[in-house]
Amino acid sequence: MCRSGIGEVKRMSIEPMRIFFKEIKEPIETTMIGNYAVAGGVTQTDPDVICAFPITPQTQSVEGLSDVVHHGRLKAAFVNVESELAAMSFSTAACAAGARAFTATASQGYLLMTEALPMAVGWRLPLTMMLSARAFNSPNLSIWNSWEYTQTNSELGWNIIVSENVQETYDAAIISVMISEDSLFPTIFVHDGFIISHSVQNLTLIPDERVRRMTPKKPRHTIDPSKPGTWGGIVTPSYFMEGRAQLEEAKQLVLGQMVDVFKKFKAETGRDYNLIETYNLDNSSKTAFCTMGSVCGNIISWMTKNKDIGLIKIRAFRPFPYEELRKIVEEHNIEKLILLEKSDSLNGMLPPFSMSVASALYPLGTLFRSFIVGLGGRDVTRDEFGVMKKKMEAVKDMKGQLYQYLGVRETKEKIYGVD
Amino acid sequence: MLTPEQIKEELKEHVINLRFHARGGQGGVTASNLCVEAFYGYGVCQPLFGAERMGSPTESYVRLSANDDLVRSNEQVYAPHAVAVLDPSLLGEIDVTAGLAPGGWLIVNTVMDQKTIQDIVGRKDINIATIDALNIAMEIFGRNITNTIILGALIRVAPIFSMDALADAIMRRFKGEIAGKNVAAIKRAYEETCIYETPNAPAIDFTKDTKVPWQQVFPGLPGYKELDKAGVWYCDEDVIEIGSKQVITGSWGEWDMIWDEEKCTDCAQCWYICPDFAIIREKGEDGLWHMKGIDQSHCKSCQNCLEICPVEAISKRLKQGPAACAAPE
Repeated sequence: MCRSGIGEVKRMSIEPMRIFFKEIKEPIETTMIGNYAVAGGVTQTDPDVICAFPITPQTQSVEGLSDVVHHGRLKAAFVNVESELAAMSFSTAACAAGARAFTATASQGYLLMTEALPMAVGWRLPLTMMLSARAFNSPNLSIWNSWEYTQTNSELGWNIIVSENVQETYDAAIISVMISEDSLFPTIFVHDGFIISHSVQNLTLIPDERVRRMTPKKPRHTIDPSKPGTWGGIVTPSYFMEGRAQLEEAKQLVLGQMVDVFKKFKAETGRDYNLIETYNLDNSSKTAFCTMGSVCGNIISWMTKNKDIGLIKIRAFRPFPYEELRKIVEEHNIEKLILLEKSDSLNGMLPPFSMSVASALYPLGTLFRSFIVGLGGRDVTRDEFGVMKKKMEAVKDMKGQLYQYLGVRETKEKIYGVD
Repeated sequence: MLTPEQIKEELKEHVINLRFHARGGQGGVTASNLCVEAFYGYGVCQPLFGAERMGSPTESYVRLSANDDLVRSNEQVYAPHAVAVLDPSLLGEIDVTAGLAPGGWLIVNTVMDQKTIQDIVGRKDINIATIDALNIAMEIFGRNITNTIILGALIRVAPIFSMDALADAIMRRFKGEIAGKNVAAIKRAYEETCIYETPNAPAIDFTKDTKVPWQQVFPGLPGYKELDKAGVWYCDEDVIEIGSKQVITGSWGEWDMIWDEEKCTDCAQCWYICPDFAIIREKGEDGLWHMKGIDQSHCKSCQNCLEICPVEAISKRLKQGPAACAAPE
């Protein structure tokens, strides 16, 4: 809220959000940055509680939501808190009371949330969170894109889906609510910080009526003073393991529920998503890239002139669709995979995304190498793709180090790993 | 003017890349966004990612094609076919023609002539167009907003979309009187663009990639083997060529701060409040710190020192030269 003059309250507004102030009746083609698109998508799902703490590059998503709440378009409680830990605790509690809640964060904020993250999983709360992927501060502070989020917290039981462009991240804002509420597990949807959060791209907005149809409110949790209870009370060794096993059994169903959600979404919008999407897999070299997020777009553009290579794009990072991936690799007789990821692991084993793919591929013995690229916002270009393809042609076995950095200066004159 | 049919045919396999140079607040991203909206085909617009501040140099990129897959890339634009510069003071500060394809166009908001611009940018294989956008903006809007005006000059030399399509995009983007004024401004810019085609400049070859290999990796800076301890550096060492010392924030502002030695009492309040360490002081023979002046190459004229000075020893003066129009209203 901005005060100008004495006693006069001037209503500020963020230009791109105005399109969401009125009922959207027909699909609208427009252009928008990723963060405002997410704010719009979340608006359409009609959350009851929005509670987040600002951090670059996530900021505009919450800023946009405060705008629609302030203008009365969205009847939600917009709660300001003092930290990400408070934001996650508050959102978890709101969900436990039956509210549809949304929060968003990035980088260090995600780390600060860590203590409160397991609760939403354990209590089966359908919380939704946007994560704008940004580097963790080590050794330097960086506000730019990296996938350090894959290094931590990914085994806590949150569903994680990853988007490639602005349209996908807008859709993911709606799809995540559907997945959360069908599976009763909290869901994070990720886009690459700056690359998607701050890029202006074309997208088609879904009419409000259809979003309402896809995301009907069916609260499963209530807080009722006439029926008091305890959430997360202490148990002795006689009970804890049963609780975990129950979660694990429910988690087994999530991938199937995701597929159903994607089908429902396709019926309403015509946009076809899946756990894993594939491009040009029946190629002459029987080789494919395998990665997720915005770098898939770079590869697809590059592939228009390099038709002898394919791409496997993972959308569902957690739960990891290992059986589906195995099936795809087997069906298309893929012999070699080039894994790309914007994260390293510093432990001498594979970085997290590659580790997941490697576990899935274990029974098949498919050859692969992992390339660590684009850390801290460094661009990933045709130079890198060309070198990876060439290096992969020489790979004959799985001996030696399976990963390497690419696109990093070894000395002033030399790029590491490039002759 | 490319018709929709021609665009479909000619841009099936190619991409047109544009780059806009502006200063924070001048609306470079809005200009590139309008290109995407006016183009009959697929397009994306990207800012150069970073923390933008009022007056700091910014870049934004546009990628246009008739093939959806070709503009799906999230790479930044390294090899533009046309570059538009919204602020003439950027010519000397930034290599605006980096990667510009031979035969490409450099469009500058300036009253400088071809020879002067060529001398500054040092390229003979490109074409140049100039437009006195500042003058048009002052007459039509009454203030220095040049981002839409430069688009009038852009389509004059690079007809990738029609004036009508651009006017449509502007009418969708702006409302009422402002929209009408913007359309009038681009039409005038179209007429008043000065075109300097370089004799013997090659035609743009869309099949040729003019990106310098590995330029995204910044070759020439120390590599990981040459860094002592990444992440930790000390003020008195000049090993790492990054950090705020290298950012010449002095070009961002519109004022020079003037220090009056007579009035100064060396109280150091300005030294504490300056966000850029632009107050220079030295330890004298008496063992005390004494104010020595203001580092104009890093002072971005936030005027904190002027406000805090208890004895009015600091005053301000509008910057001289081309940087005078650097700061937007």
